[in-house]
Parts: sequence; C-alpha cells; structure tokens
Amino acid sequence: MTLQTSVASAEPYIPGRARSEVARKVLLYSLYLFIAAIFFVPFLWTLTTSFKTIPDSVNVTFWAHPWTTEAWHTLWTNYDFPTYIKNSLFLCAVIVTCNLFLSALGGYAFARLRFPGRELLFLLVLGTLMVPDQLRLIPIFVMMVNWGLYGSFTSYILINLVSAVNLFFMRQYFLTIPRDFEEAAKLDGAGYFKTFWRIMLPLALPAMAALAILQFQGTWNDFFWPLILFGQGNPSHYTLQLGLAELHFNYGTLWPEISAGAVIAIVPILIIFLVFQRFFVSGVVSAGVKG
Amino acid sequence: MMATPTATEAAPSRLSVTLRGARLREAGWGYGFAVVPLAVFGLFFIYPLGYAIYISFFHWGILGKIAPGTGTFNYAKVLHDPVFHTALKNIAEYTVAVVPLEMALGLSLALVINQKIRGRNFFRSAFYFPSIASSVAITTIILYIFSQNGLFNHIFGFSKDWFGDASTIGWGIVGMNAWTTSGTVMIFYLAALQAIPDDVYEAAALDDTGAWRTFWKITFPLLKPAHFFCLVVFGIGALKLFDQPFLIAKGASGAPNYSTMYPILYIYNAAFGSSDFGLAAAAGVIYFIIIFGLTIVERLTVGRQEAA
Repeated sequence: MTLQTSVASAEPYIPGRARSEVARKVLLYSLYLFIAAIFFVPFLWTLTTSFKTIPDSVNVTFWAHPWTTEAWHTLWTNYDFPTYIKNSLFLCAVIVTCNLFLSALGGYAFARLRFPGRELLFLLVLGTLMVPDQLRLIPIFVMMVNWGLYGSFTSYILINLVSAVNLFFMRQYFLTIPRDFEEAAKLDGAGYFKTFWRIMLPLALPAMAALAILQFQGTWNDFFWPLILFGQGNPSHYTLQLGLAELHFNYGTLWPEISAGAVIAIVPILIIFLVFQRFFVSGVVSAGVKG
Repeated sequence: MMATPTATEAAPSRLSVTLRGARLREAGWGYGFAVVPLAVFGLFFIYPLGYAIYISFFHWGILGKIAPGTGTFNYAKVLHDPVFHTALKNIAEYTVAVVPLEMALGLSLALVINQKIRGRNFFRSAFYFPSIASSVAITTIILYIFSQNGLFNHIFGFSKDWFGDASTIGWGIVGMNAWTTSGTVMIFYLAALQAIPDDVYEAAALDDTGAWRTFWKITFPLLKPAHFFCLVVFGIGALKLFDQPFLIAKGASGAPNYSTMYPILYIYNAAFGSSDFGLAAAAGVIYFIIIFGLTIVERLTVGRQEAA
C-alpha cells in the first residue's frame, strides 16, 4: 500500500494534472464499486426477494411490490425451518466445543510434552490430511450403519470431534509461546493438566477464537457429510443446509421461500465475519500455509 | 518437531531415578492428552482408508457382502464404465478452466485491495464474502439469478436456462465457483503482495517504470511462490467438486445427459443410487490414486520450481 505514496511523491508536479487525476480516480472507483456490486448484489437481491410474493419474484424490480413476510412465515410453519436451525446450531455448538478442547489438548501434547513415538504419531496426524472425503465416504457410511448410528447426530459428531487441521493449528500456536510460563508454573508445583488448563489455554485464546470461528463456519456450511449421514433419513435431523437443499429439490421455483432460506443460511456467517474479520483472514492464511 | 535440549538431559546421574520417574510421568500425560484425537484420527481416517480398499474387492451392498467372490471386478467395472470416463473428462475440463480463472480474478482483486484506496475494508469484505457463504445458499441464489426468468437474462436480454442446458451448465459451474473462490485466492495473494519489500518498488519508481510494466516485470515474477501455492491448493480443491453439481442436477445422476457427472458424484451415485458399495469404494480408491499421483507430480515440479 505504500507503493502508491512512494510513486506519487517521486513524480514531479505538473500543472493541470489535478483534474485528470480526479477523473482517473472517479473512473477507478466506479470500476471498483461495479466489481464489488457483482459480489454483493446477488445477496441483496436474495434479501428483497424473500419479501416478495411468488408472481413478483420473477419480476426484475429490486424492491418487493408488495412487501410481504409470507415466505418467512411459510418457512416457519410449513417447512420446519426452526428445527433445521436448531439442529445446525446444536451441531455447531457441540463440534466447536469438542474441537477447541481436543485440538488444544492434542496440540499442546505434540508441541510440548515428550513421549516416545511422538514424531511418528505426529506424522500420522498430518497423514490424515491426505485421506480425502470421497474415500472415507463409503467405509464411514458402512461403519455407522453397522454400529446402528446411521441417521443420528452422534455419527456426525463422532467423525467431527477433532480435525488434524485444528490440532496442527493449535500446536503451531503453542510452539510460539515462550517456555518461561510453564517453567514458572512447574516451580509453583502445578501439574501437567493444571499448567495446560490455567496457564497455556488462556495464553492461546487468540488462536482458539480463530479456530472456533472457522470451525463454526465449516460446520454451519457443511453439506456433504450431513447429506451422507442423515440426508436420506428422518427430516427431523436435517441441518439448515439440508433443509434448504430439500426445499430447492422439491419446490425449485418457490423463489421467495428459497431466498429466505438462503438468507438464514448466510446471515450468521455474515455477522460473525463482519465482527471477527481479522480472525478469518489470519486463520485462512495460516491454515492454508500448512497445506 | 525439533528435540529441544532441556535441563533434564544435562542433569547429574544420581538424580536419574527421580528423573526417569518425571519422564515417565511426562510421557504418560503426553499420551493422555493426545489419546482422544489419535483415536479419532485412527478410527475415522486411517482405518477407513484400509476398510475402503477391503470393501472394493467384494460385492458389497448396504448391509455387507451380498454375493460370494473376491477380486478386482469392481475396479475393472469402474475403469470400463463410460460414465466414469465422462466424469473424469468433466472434472479435467472443470479444473483446467476454473483454476486459472479464479487465480486471475483473485490476483486482480488483491491488486485492487493492496492499493491505498478509500474503503479498503469495504472492498475486501465485499470480495471475500462469497467465499464464506454456504455452497447451498450460493448455488440456489445463482440458480435463481440465472433461471429463465431471472435477473441475468432480463439485464442482458437472453432467454436461456443456463443451468438447465447441457451445453452451458459446465461453464455455469466454472463461473459460479470462480466467483466464490476468488475471494479466498485474493487473501493468499494479498498476504504475498504485502510481503514484497517496498524498496523494490522504490527502485522501479526511480527508473520511472510505468505501473503496468512494474506489475509484469516486478510484481508478477516476485509472486511466483504464491502462484504455485495457489495452483496446488486450488487445483486439488477443484478436483473435489460435489455440492454445486449435486444441487443443480438435484441429485447425482449427472442430468442433463451426464453434463454434471463428476467423480465424487459418480461415487455417491454408485453407493446411494445403485447400492453398489463395492463399486463405489473401488471408484473412490481409483480417484484417490489419481489425485494422490497428481499431488506428487505437482509437489515435485512445483517444489523444484520454487527452489529455482
């Protein structure tokens, strides 16, 4: 970003340049705004469509005419969206909590505690990153059917208890914390768990915040595994994404209802994104660098 | 990963008994802390890898083996299936089209954001946002906008059902995913751009090099590691295409006319459409080998390029 200033200050002053400079700026910003519009107008369009009537949804007017909350009402009463939202929130809460705790615990062990076979086991953890979902799909489905867990929330929670990416992320963060803290705790006679729980975990809060946000996003948006594990079963277990997909499959032209569903699917992520933007960016970059 | 020398290793030997106790204790806690994550990875990643290979050698239905016989017949069937060939052809075309497109878009967006412009945060949020919205929401929104009576046709005067026609559907998916993924690509390029030291540009400014030339002669070559990184990460990512074609075709049948048939949909369809889990597992193993091979090739060539 310092590029512009340094370039500008290196240029000699030319009379009459100011006006062309302004024109150039206006042009440039219009272009940027146009590009930005391509990125967010579809979402605004969806939002207003969710307040339209069905015949109005195929008109190309931005504002709904007339405004109606009928689509929202239908989602609530006819399509059981409150259950889907509850299911999604429940799974997110459980999975985020488990991932926070287990990846911090495991990450700390691999970062700081010495035990025989640690390097080998850590390679195994990283190796899981190479096992793709399309290969796990069949065996995990078969396992869940055999264990009588198919179609239950337990099946989905079990396979998502902790991920290698999260554990790796926490390990890297613990490695950056100076050892002095633990040594001080040791001198005070604190045991391993107490040192981890009272000293290290509070120090790792920024990493845990980033992890929680990215995991919430991942679980909230997940379509593949809920589809495999409860997509063909009881709709009472549908997540929001499955419910929205079902609505689209069965009533593909109920655009106001589908738009309202899409708005619900997007808004929590939008809010979290706007509030915690820096965690998203840092999390994405560091999670990607490991790949 | 490095073994850090600690006080314990340097300690005198008369303490060795208590030290061994301390070491055992530390190891015990280490295993204790790591055991649940390791169990999860073993049970739901490593074991399924072997189990998938095992299943692929049998006639396997929803409840287990359904017919006698062991052999490579599932592999033969997948490899000779014209639908699988179509799936591979489709994913190859998709990947070759989408990766350069999302990289070009992502880099352009990063260049916009990397300037000292007003409202940088606004632009960055706007560009990045489609990347984090759910695939289901994005796909339904795009289907709406590109439907026959949709916004796009109204604005540009077409009357085409873009996602209902076998000739445009693949390009539709390419466009949609390039749009949504470009924000993530942008974040990586932005990090790389900000790592370029300012004096490089100052030298260019002194030489009176124009902005366009500066970009192609200085910035673009300096971004080489980022180019290769994105090529690998988003290339592998593209091969995992599933949600969008599944939602557009309303299932894994590949409709219309196998234009939305991609490898993971083929696997899904073999399992949940035809209840042939052996075949699905074999297709999974074959596709895994293909992706794994490509990764190795990419790592080798890219690794060499990066070192150079």
